[in-house]
Amino acid sequence: MMQRNRHVGLILAFLSFLAIPLAAQNGTIHGQVVDSITQQGLAGATVQLLFRTAGLTVQPGRQIVTDADGRFSLGDVVPGAVTVKATRIGYGPQQQEVNVTAGGTAEARFVLSPQASILEPVVVTGYGSQRREAITGSVATVEANTANVGVKTNADQLLQGRAAGVEVLQNNGEPGAGAQVLIRGGSSLSATNDPLYVIDGVPVNNVATEPQSIGVGGDPSLPRNPLNLINPGDIQSITVLKDASATAIYGSRASNGVILIETKRGNASSGPTFEYDGYVSTSSPLRRLDVLTGNEYRNFVQNSVASWRTDSTSFSSRHPGTDTIFTKHFADSAAAFNALAPSHLADLGSANTDWAAAITRSAVSHNHNLSFSGGTEATRYRASLNYANQQGVTLSSGLERIQGRLSATHSDLNNRLRMDVNVTTSRVNNTYLTYENNGGFEGGVFENVATFNPTLPVTVTDSTGTHFYEVGGTSIRNPVALASQITNIGQTTRTLANGSASFDLISGLTAKVTVGLDHSGGQRQEYYPQSNPVGVALGGGFARQADLENTTQTLQTQLNYQRQFGNNTVDVVGGYEYSKFRTSSLTAQGIGFFTDAFSFNNLGAATTRTTFSDAAESRLVSVFSRANVGFNDRFYVTGVLRYDGSSRFAVGHKWAAFPGVSGSWHLSQESFAKNLPFSDLKLRVGWGLQGNPSVDPYTSLITLAGSTDATYPWGDTPQGGVLATSNGNPNLKWEQTSQIDGAVDFAILNNRISGTVEYYHKNTKDLLLTVNVSEPALVSTQLTNIGSLSGHGLELSLDALAISRPNLTWRGGLVLAAERNKVVDLGGQAYISTGFVSGQGQSNQVSERLIPGYPVGTFYGPVFLGWDAQGHQIFQCSAATPGCVGGKTTTGSGPDQADYRVIGNANPDFTLGVHSEVTWNRFDLSFLVRAAVGQDVFNNTALVYSTKSDALQGKNFLRAALTDSTGIHEPAIFSSRWVENASFVRLQNITVGYDLNLPLLTRSARSARLYVSADNLILITGYSGLDPEVFTSNGLATRGLDYLTYPRPRTITGGLRLLF
Amino acid sequence: MTRLSVTMSLRAAGLVTLLFLPVQACTDLTENPPSQITSSNFFRNEAEVLAGLAGVYAQLRSTAPEGSIYDANEISSDEMVVPTRGSDWFDNGQWIDLHNQTWTATSAATLNFFNGAWNSAYTGVARANLFLSAVQNASVPNKASIIAEARALRAFYYYILMDMFGGVPIVTTTDIALRPRNTRREVFDFIESELIAARDSGLPATRPASDNGRLTKGAADAILANMYINAGVFTKDGAKGGINATGYNSCQGITVAGGTDACQAAIAAADRILNSGNYSLADSFPKVFRYDNFSSPENIFVVKFIAADGLGLDINMAALHYCQYAPLSPWNGFAIMAAAYNTFDPADKRRRTILIGAQNDVLTGQPVTHRVSGSCPAYTPANALIFTDTIADIHSATEGEGPRIYKWPADPNHVQQNSGNDFAWFRLGEIYLIKAEAEFETGNAAQALTLINTLRNRTDAVAPPLAAVSRQVILNERLFELVGEEKRRQDLIRFGGFTSRTDAASGLAGGKVARGNDYVLMPIPQTQIDANPKLTQNPGY
Repeated sequence: MMQRNRHVGLILAFLSFLAIPLAAQNGTIHGQVVDSITQQGLAGATVQLLFRTAGLTVQPGRQIVTDADGRFSLGDVVPGAVTVKATRIGYGPQQQEVNVTAGGTAEARFVLSPQASILEPVVVTGYGSQRREAITGSVATVEANTANVGVKTNADQLLQGRAAGVEVLQNNGEPGAGAQVLIRGGSSLSATNDPLYVIDGVPVNNVATEPQSIGVGGDPSLPRNPLNLINPGDIQSITVLKDASATAIYGSRASNGVILIETKRGNASSGPTFEYDGYVSTSSPLRRLDVLTGNEYRNFVQNSVASWRTDSTSFSSRHPGTDTIFTKHFADSAAAFNALAPSHLADLGSANTDWAAAITRSAVSHNHNLSFSGGTEATRYRASLNYANQQGVTLSSGLERIQGRLSATHSDLNNRLRMDVNVTTSRVNNTYLTYENNGGFEGGVFENVATFNPTLPVTVTDSTGTHFYEVGGTSIRNPVALASQITNIGQTTRTLANGSASFDLISGLTAKVTVGLDHSGGQRQEYYPQSNPVGVALGGGFARQADLENTTQTLQTQLNYQRQFGNNTVDVVGGYEYSKFRTSSLTAQGIGFFTDAFSFNNLGAATTRTTFSDAAESRLVSVFSRANVGFNDRFYVTGVLRYDGSSRFAVGHKWAAFPGVSGSWHLSQESFAKNLPFSDLKLRVGWGLQGNPSVDPYTSLITLAGSTDATYPWGDTPQGGVLATSNGNPNLKWEQTSQIDGAVDFAILNNRISGTVEYYHKNTKDLLLTVNVSEPALVSTQLTNIGSLSGHGLELSLDALAISRPNLTWRGGLVLAAERNKVVDLGGQAYISTGFVSGQGQSNQVSERLIPGYPVGTFYGPVFLGWDAQGHQIFQCSAATPGCVGGKTTTGSGPDQADYRVIGNANPDFTLGVHSEVTWNRFDLSFLVRAAVGQDVFNNTALVYSTKSDALQGKNFLRAALTDSTGIHEPAIFSSRWVENASFVRLQNITVGYDLNLPLLTRSARSARLYVSADNLILITGYSGLDPEVFTSNGLATRGLDYLTYPRPRTITGGLRLLF
Repeated sequence: MTRLSVTMSLRAAGLVTLLFLPVQACTDLTENPPSQITSSNFFRNEAEVLAGLAGVYAQLRSTAPEGSIYDANEISSDEMVVPTRGSDWFDNGQWIDLHNQTWTATSAATLNFFNGAWNSAYTGVARANLFLSAVQNASVPNKASIIAEARALRAFYYYILMDMFGGVPIVTTTDIALRPRNTRREVFDFIESELIAARDSGLPATRPASDNGRLTKGAADAILANMYINAGVFTKDGAKGGINATGYNSCQGITVAGGTDACQAAIAAADRILNSGNYSLADSFPKVFRYDNFSSPENIFVVKFIAADGLGLDINMAALHYCQYAPLSPWNGFAIMAAAYNTFDPADKRRRTILIGAQNDVLTGQPVTHRVSGSCPAYTPANALIFTDTIADIHSATEGEGPRIYKWPADPNHVQQNSGNDFAWFRLGEIYLIKAEAEFETGNAAQALTLINTLRNRTDAVAPPLAAVSRQVILNERLFELVGEEKRRQDLIRFGGFTSRTDAASGLAGGKVARGNDYVLMPIPQTQIDANPKLTQNPGY
């Protein structure tokens, strides 16, 4: 008997000499799973055998998936009373006891009722999975096949509007743009607010994979999303761990929540499957910068010159000496203040150029996924290939992805040994538009769209041929030429590989080893040609090649013990994890080329060449454990403890413990609850402590580095120097967030309506803040653990199965979140200024303050009251400040710092996502609406570009300025005038699909679906800028800044999905 | 089954051991930065020590044009103003706040310029402290001289702080701690003793050309001479501490090191320089400021610049018009005040360092235009760029309003905006004027007149000789000689005119009116008090 079961050819040496007890006799269970409404067989339902041993324990046994008619057959069943359970996504589970006789056949029929929410019965949690009913923490799941369709380049977009308390703010409308993902409002100021991403059980280091560009006219645009490497078509499900008790298992990296991404695996039950999924889409900008047309600009200048009075200009010779001294300026009469000098007539050309239209386009994108999967009960595989090509809605921007993925699972030793290998390799080719994230005096493409004179042409033809029109040698540049002539591309190759082996040591006890490798190599290649003024300004052609390499190696070992004792369950996980992160970069650049022909490919030809390199490494070591105990199917308690060590913190502060505890009470199981209207009712409560380790390596040390700043010429020869780049901090430690969470999960009308109401409160202490330090100091700031932040919020999610008839189903759901955060303490500082204002004349102007007692994203500035007769802006002031009369500033005196006030809040009162899916015969219709109410956005674009004073420099401006009362000579002054309510309702996506009747078309295809989808079709908002959902990074923890954002597209997609 | 379980348990135990073996191996979390160094493994040989010293020197750039210390010194005085030009140069109102002296501990000028000055100077102190503590253990040649150099540099950074803010915490160690302010007199004495020590125990009298720019005995004496002439101000904590905001603050009667009277000490320090034989007046005034002024015989203590990325002087970018430094596009900001310009004798050649009237490209000499559509079109007399003497309204100036400082002519070999002109904190011209002032204060007017006329009568004379000398003449002569060289604020305070000068003489609307006496000291920026609550604010803020 032992001999028969002993295996040869074992993969792991320590697994030899294992023995498995055998079933002595057998019976068979036949049956069918049907829909309670249609009474049709349900394909793809899981039928699971729960068997008892030693009379006590019920444990999951074998399982099988029903065929197309909903039928199944389970052989080799131990005789006796056995429990069989049927589950299917979107249906409530059912179990029944069946009597199996030796050699006999038992019948089992399951009638499953559709459920409001379409949820897997098993939920992926940290380091394993749990039965949904045993979950005690706050966990939201999004099944990829039900999430948004349309053009999606990464996983983040699948979450938009789908999970309560998960706000996904795409930075802008650029293809593959990065995103700000805030789970429960974030928990940090200077450290990251990004959640931890875990793909197939392996935490991913979510840092930029491509080197940054040099900025043209400001900081370079924000990096694209590192998650673009994952093809959304490969994603099976996304689970969001929101509260501390659920995330505590990830300890130090979990304070911003955890996003677990599970990818699709092969499925043996339905046989070999071949799938094609593809779409073509076309996009155009939803809105464009509304600047004056050529004619409007001509009219404006001519009218303004007409009101220039001759007495405005005076020439006189004032100096008694021999010099000819001129006094040439206008007197500040109202007419002059609102007039342009006659010389501005020379600004006017004869063209009528719509620069916004000239740099935007109707973009075409397409995406193709091919996959095949299949296998046997023991060995399953899935292979997929993705090609995606997404054009941006401006010239010279796009994203191309080629990605391949293989996953294979194999079980052996009678399913006691399970092995799993996943390999994803992707190549992303990015094409970047040269635009600025924030800006100053000179601009990139979007600033020049706003300001380039519309009476000038895009191109001119002269004796040298047709070329771009440039005004020449100054900070104003033809935006079409910028977009067309500058090469700015990036390529990232990223491989994500992980393998694991699990072995059931004894009944219920499983050991697992996982190794993971995440390697990305990103390149950035730029060339600023001499033919463009930017290239000239950079020194006669500027070429740059930059490489960035990130490697993360992970090793996990874990033990898992799962047992069921009657109605009691025990589920314990313990393990160890080791991660090593390494990043290195190499940049080479050359300035001064005698030809543009080399582009960035021959740096040796440059007159001046420079190289830089850098490397950093860090390690994270953890031991962790989680125990989940269920009593009587009613009470579940989970305790988590993780002990983390990070090399990044100071000696003596490298280790910290992160505990979590939570419990749930399944009230609907109680007899006293039987009379309540709830078909399901569960109370949950939890507490946990988490960390945020995102400080750069070596921050605790005083480090010295050589740089230009340290270099000093002695005898006119530069002496390379070193200087301290940091004060170090021997006390640097983790940011810690504690969170409590209480929730009610409920369902009524036989689970036709289900939902969750959840409240949380969290406190972050020991905030990692870069604060001014007492001088003298090597640098004026130090990263210190001071201050605290708190947040609390209410989340509601509802799912309803409104209609469920044989040919018509209608599901709908909504998620609603209201989040309030507050800076509690800044280590004694009264406030920290942030939100630097972009644009000419805005140096050192800040728009936000972090103030104890106020939320992150509090706008702070002067209160705008109106205009005086001359067109000066008037601000609220106090009597104490100079130039203040009757609470209003007088002509010419701007707002005083002392009169700055809180003038807005970038946080919404609440956010809402509403989704609906209707299936009618072969048609389906779904939509997703997202809304946010009550938030303010600082329209930095309007501040700087809807000001007529731009005409003084021959620049265009936004049309809104034409009708306001601001004088032409009045500078752009930041005030409450530019902080706008940015509430919005957006029809994020609407999709209509049709299931083709395939037998008519083809014999081999199993199913086919055609769909048409529209993204961002309707946006309702009072906000005057391009888009109320914006992100501009310009200071510490900024929110709600809008500066010249890449326009968000409206996209129409047509797609086809074929299954063979 | 029993036997099986035992076997299984043993195997399980073995497996568990295997699983957790890595725990033993991989718990080392020590950091070893691959591309950075730490002070513990540095400063071991001469090259490393000199690299560290260069880092202390490099902070000097932040004291030169056009950094926050320069802005604070110049724009707060009656030499320069930065008017708002359309939407340009408003910048949170900081320039107007600075010029009009409306600053408070939290106002825009303080947040940027004074806070920047505080941080810049103290960063220099901190770099010197770190260097001095590390270099003690290094064995390098000329160690005493190198230590003297770092101490003198640190003293200079303290000089900047003391000049602007009064008493500040004196720190010579590397730890970051909350410390109260020392009195201004204590800071004065500390700087004085450090400079004397550096001069007498290590600094060489001269340097070879290859070390041009490194400190010498003369540099220490020049700072000392300046401190002694200002002793009537520098030893007093603000107007309430005895500074006369509306009258002359003499060096007479202030006792300094060795029990000497400060005026005598100033003369002695000036004489050590003048009699050293190491310095002489340049034959022509422009040579003192040109791109090749590293060889000027007048330089005593300069901030070195070369035409290389990040290492050059860029004051011309701040002052010149967009169209007169092609292909660069300067920023058209800083303007000289009409009154300052008009104080010059038209015959004084030094006035030519200020641009006014019709403008040319500074490199090609071709006439230039104001901008059309943001560009610089072909020249016609109608579109000529003309710098006016006055500015009608500093809140809304036009492109051409205001004369411009052009004392450091553009380097023909400039790399982008980086020119190679050195900026002299102390040059021989000022030493003549310091000595003249001290002689005048000690009753030796004839000697003072001789010194001033010597300065005017360099080989290529800048101005005709004067017939008589007075305090006003000395103040004016300092303006003519040193305009734009970060001296005016200090001079006005010493002569009692810093807070009372108004913009009326320059015909400016919306400009400066007379301010309170306490404004002779800058406020301690609130951000610094927040970071170090032991700092007390200067009176009057």
